[in-house]
Amino acid sequence: MAQYRTQVRIIADVLSTAKDANTEGTGVGVTTLLRKGNMSYTRLSKLLSELVGSGLLVELDGEKISKYMISQKGIQFLNAYYAFEDFAQSFGLRL
Amino acid sequence: MTQPDMGLIQNILQFIGVFVSFSIAYVAYRGVRQTESSSLLRLATAFIFLGFGFLIEGLVGLGNLVVLPISTTEVVVGGLLLETTGYFFLAFSHAVDVLISKKLGVALLVFPVITLTSTQLADILSILSFYFVLYGVVETVYSYARTRKPDTLLIALGLSLIGVGTFFQWLSLLYQYVGVLSLLQIILQEMGLLILFTPVLNFAVGGVKVNGSV
Repeated sequence: MAQYRTQVRIIADVLSTAKDANTEGTGVGVTTLLRKGNMSYTRLSKLLSELVGSGLLVELDGEKISKYMISQKGIQFLNAYYAFEDFAQSFGLRL
Repeated sequence: MTQPDMGLIQNILQFIGVFVSFSIAYVAYRGVRQTESSSLLRLATAFIFLGFGFLIEGLVGLGNLVVLPISTTEVVVGGLLLETTGYFFLAFSHAVDVLISKKLGVALLVFPVITLTSTQLADILSILSFYFVLYGVVETVYSYARTRKPDTLLIALGLSLIGVGTFFQWLSLLYQYVGVLSLLQIILQEMGLLILFTPVLNFAVGGVKVNGSV
């Protein structure tokens, strides 16, 4: 059964993709984030602006398209998210 | 064991309960600030109520040992009311939207105070606590079936012990063996709470330091 994703879960998913898919260190394109993030282009664009604005993602200016890389602050956020997710799950709850 | 000895043990256990409850509430509150999660908000609320409930009961116990200007019956009912509200939020962290929880929580606070005597109120609050905890156990076990996370099963065990404890609390209001039942109740509740402390320990061992927020 599909589960409802909270906003913080969606943010964690995007950050996680930006971290894991960045194997070459050149950033991750919107197409990859769209595919793994499972959301519409409009919604993702808005979210990416917010994440860049809050310093969780870094936007790299490419030749044709923008690429995104997780920042140190983003990694800290992701670690905290996993820790609190673990804490909540212990009580049988979801973040 | 003499009555004052038993009272002292009960008191010490109550204050351990205060520490455990506020520790869980603190970690959950940190989680709310970092993730804005409504589930963690309900969890923090539950343990703040429980912590204050235990604190009041502990202070009343202290009043029995040392002379303090406290009228016990009403204050004990007040403590029980806070505890029951805490169990309510704990049980419904799983399912109910936070606004509905608040409304029902307020209803729970207001309704019985007007219409019932202190003893009836204590009786009702104890049995309500039992049902809330029971519901929490069922939901937690269900959650374990989904996640297969051993910690979740441990929390279900902790909640079960608290549930049995609240049942003894209810029995102690009905029967004569008040001292023994009260001690049993508080020992079971404290064992349950200490088990609930496990995620806090895991969290502390994990040593998360966060600067980022959404």
